[in-house]
Formats: sequence, C-alpha cells, structure tokens
Amino acid sequence: MTATFPDLHMPPRLLVPGATPADLATHHQRYGPPAQVDPEILLRTFAESGLTGRGGAGFPTYRKLVSVAEAGRRTGRAPVVVANGAEGEPASRKDRTLLRLSPHLVLDGLQLAARTVGAGEAYLAVEDGATWLESALAQRTADPLPVKVVRLPRSFLSGQAAALARYVSGGAALPTHQRPPVRERGVHRAPTLVQNVETLAHLALVARYGADWYRTAGTPAQPGSALCTVHVPGREPRVVEAPYGLPLGRLLPLEGARAVLVGGYHGSWIPASEAAELALDAGYLGAGVLAALPVDRCGLAETARVLRYLALQSAGQCGPCLNGLPRIAGAFRTLAAPGPQGTVRADLARWSGLVEGRGACHHPDGTVRLVRSALTTFAAEVDAHARGHCTATDHRPLLPVPEEG
Amino acid sequence: MSSETLWYANRATGAVCLVLFTIVVLLGIAVRSRTRLPGLPRFGTMSLHRTLSLSATAFLALHISTAVVDGYVDITVVDVLVPFVGDYRPLWLGLGTVALDLVLAVLVTSLLRERLGHRTWRTVHRLAYASWPVALVHGIGIGTDTGADWMTWLTVACVAAAVAAFAARLAHAARAARRTPAALLRTAEGARP
Repeated sequence: MTATFPDLHMPPRLLVPGATPADLATHHQRYGPPAQVDPEILLRTFAESGLTGRGGAGFPTYRKLVSVAEAGRRTGRAPVVVANGAEGEPASRKDRTLLRLSPHLVLDGLQLAARTVGAGEAYLAVEDGATWLESALAQRTADPLPVKVVRLPRSFLSGQAAALARYVSGGAALPTHQRPPVRERGVHRAPTLVQNVETLAHLALVARYGADWYRTAGTPAQPGSALCTVHVPGREPRVVEAPYGLPLGRLLPLEGARAVLVGGYHGSWIPASEAAELALDAGYLGAGVLAALPVDRCGLAETARVLRYLALQSAGQCGPCLNGLPRIAGAFRTLAAPGPQGTVRADLARWSGLVEGRGACHHPDGTVRLVRSALTTFAAEVDAHARGHCTATDHRPLLPVPEEG
Repeated sequence: MSSETLWYANRATGAVCLVLFTIVVLLGIAVRSRTRLPGLPRFGTMSLHRTLSLSATAFLALHISTAVVDGYVDITVVDVLVPFVGDYRPLWLGLGTVALDLVLAVLVTSLLRERLGHRTWRTVHRLAYASWPVALVHGIGIGTDTGADWMTWLTVACVAAAVAAFAARLAHAARAARRTPAALLRTAEGARP
C-alpha cells in the first residue's frame, strides 16, 4: 500500500518504504530513543519548526499547544490530549497507514504533546486497528502517562474535534457548539488538545532531530512534509510522503487526466491544466487526499456520488445543513444525468450561499466548496449534459464512497 | 381592607392567573416550535413569553397574599409552600401549593439561566407542563365561581387552547424526528426539475 516515488529528493521520515509494521525495538533502532527535553525548550523547538496540523486545517501546532497549556493553568484543570486517528474521510488512508506501520512514532508524539501541555489524561481515537494499537501500547512500559485507545463509530464527522471530545466524554460522536472551544472545554470539560496522529508523529521527530532538521524539507513558508493519499485510476491508493512545494505533477501523473480532486471530499476540483502548475500547498491540501479524474470519466457523476454521501453524513443538528445538503445533493444528481436541468444551476448557487458558514461545524462549508469547484471545473460538462449528452465513456464509479447503512 | 374585598380580589386574581398562565404556556410552545406571531418578529414571541410570565407571576403573588391576609379562611404562610398540611380544604389548596412550587422552580431556574447549564434549565422548565393542569384542578376544586357560566366558559376555552397547542407541539416533535438527512435526501431525489 505504501511506496515513495524515487524522485522526491527527500528521505522518508514517517514511513519507511516497503517496511513492515515496526515494534518498539525496531522503532528505537530506526529513530533512536525518545527525546528527554524540558517542556519549555520543546515548545520553542516546535515553534521554530513551523509545524502545522495535518488533520486538514493546517493550524500552527505550537500555538495550539500554548493555548491548551494556558487554558489548563487558567482553569486549574489538567488538560486532556486526544490523538485523532479517526480519518472519517473515505478517500484518505494516511492515518491508518501511519498507525499500522509506525505506531510508536505517534505514541512518542502523544507523550511529548501531553508533557508540553501538562496533560493528566491521554487518548488515542481510531475507527479500526484498535487491537493492534493496544498491543503496541502494551510494549511501552516507560511512558509516564497511560494512553487509552478509543474505538470510534464509522462516520465522516467523528474526527471533528468537538465531536471527538464529546464521544470520548461518553456522549454521541456529533459536533457541538463552537463556544467554548475544545481547547478550553473538551473531554470531561477539561481543556483538550486534539491533534491529528500524523502531526504527533512529526512532533516526535522534531523533538528528536530539531527544528532545523525539520525545515530541510519543504519551502521556507511551509516547511516539512506531509503524508498524501494518492488515487491514480486502476491502481490501489498509495500513501506518499511529500515535501511542501513539490510540483503536483510529480506526485500524480497528470497526462490523461481531466481534473484533480485536492483536499478530499471537503476539498476542490482543479482542472488538470491548472494542477500541472501547482505545487503542494497546505492551503488546499486538507488531509492530503489527491485524486486524478481521467478524461473518460464524468466529474459531475463522481461529485454527485460524493455529495450524496456527504448529505447522508450530516449530523442533522443544524437546520441549514440538515435541509440544505440533501437538496444540494438531489439537485446535483439531476445535473449529473444528461437531460433537462430546469432551474437546478440557480438553485445550487442559492442553496450553497444559504448553508455556508451556518453550521456548528464546517461540514456545510466543505460540501459547498466541493460543489462550487465542480461547477467551475466541469462547466463545459454541465453544458454538455444540458444538451443531453455526456462526454465520459466510462461510467464505473471511481472515488471511494462507503455503502449506506 | 375588609375581608370581603380580599375575597373578591382573590377570586379575580385567580381567574386572571388562569388566563395569563394559559397564554404563557401557549407562547412557550410557540417559542419552542418557532412559530411566528402575526405582527411580531420571531424574537418577539420569546420576549412576550418572558414578559407575560413575569406579569402572571405578579398576579400569582397577589392571588396568594390576598388568600393569606384574608382572615375569613385560615391559610398560613406554611400552607403556601408546603402542600396538603393546612386545615382549609387541604386537597384543593394543596394542589395550588404544588403548582406554586413547580412555578417557583421554573422561575428561579429561568432567572439563573445564564449560570445553569442549558440541559438543567430545560429539564426544570418542562415542569411548567405539569404545573398548569395542577393549578387548573386547584381552581376548579376550590374556586367560589366554579359553576358560574362565565367561569365555565373561561375554563373550557383555556383547556381547549392548551390541549390544542400541546397536540400541535407533539405533532411538531414527531415531524422533526422524521426529518433525517436520509429522509430528506429521498424527497430531494424524488423531485424533478
């Protein structure tokens, strides 16, 4: 499943190509013993590294660590740290691949993050592979803080920070109000740090090798590398570690592609010609999903399938999302079938404006981003459908969408 | 103030309380089901509910104090707060006391709403649904005017309005429970342009 392209000019950091899952001994042999550094110095190193979150938002990690630590001091409650391995995004494989191959890197990072914020509890939340992680945890006798593995229900939203905090606290895995934020009141009402597992793995390496080492990959503005799940038609999805600033064409073969989906199902479609000029950038990368759409496939049909899934995954808690997303998905299905379109295009534009920014979480916003980018990128295809024909010849589904149920 | 004046005042405030609290319950249901009243913006329903509930509480205070001050019947301050212990018609008076205690719980939690969790407030606030019928039975059982035509029609009108609103509220809740993303998607996909 994992491989690196030979021409990335970057030695692999998180995943060793072709390697088998690493136990604790192999892990120590590969990366050396974990760093024993003072939290203050650690925090400064993280700040200098410029490490950002890999869950999709790309928020500076040290700022999150600082604010959780401060919230802990202010409220007098020991913070909680949650390693987020939910990976609800159906097209992403990077978190489960990382947890499978280098669990101890993530667990090192979890301990470091816990030490930095002064945490009293630590959790590792995953959808699958919990048993494997528990056996990995059993090997780690030297950890100062015990880690509890939490098994998440399979859903798109279970990895949203507030939903995750609510689930770990014993509630439903659904997003809550944004105020107070999770960093101030999360699991059991304590200040909570929710950090993607890949971010924690990077954290473990920055603590070991330093900020300057981390910055040797990537660009000055966006240092470091990110795990990407690359979907090339006819091949298994691959998890590739790539430095920021790498031309997209080096990761993904763009010849014979009509468009590229960047950033997953809350991301955007980009025409292949534009994608060829693009460098890997945290601004659009999201959780690292890159999928090529060949010229013989219909981008509208693919988007319609994804939108249907996203509508069904709405928590149904906020009116605009509950009412808007199914209508948007229904309208897009009409657009995806060649034939008369009526007022569908105007409806989509109006409904998109009505749901955007009006949810407790960003599910409607991400969905609307996909809708708008599809309407722009596949504008010619929409016109062709209106005239009653589709330019695609292969109508088999391409992007992975889980079965209903 | 003569006993007779107090007696009339007590009956009058009792009837006013019935009407006001019925309206407060109707407005509360309207707030919950986001009904828009004619001529009012939607937040108007909410502020009307709050304002009228305080007015109703003022009339309730008047209703209770006239009953306590009136020397003709022996109702003590203890009877006002502790149900079924008084000498004067303990069952009917006690029901009024129960209704008052419930109203007080609703009132206090609403005044402290900012300091309480939303869930606590909502749980206690639902006691209002229990308070209203208990107070109604108290009025029918103890009221001097029970059986008078005007009082009968007033009571019937209030009960009819409250029952209708409560039924509408239940129907609204049932409709909302059926509105899932999957159900709405089926409807949307059935619709043609």
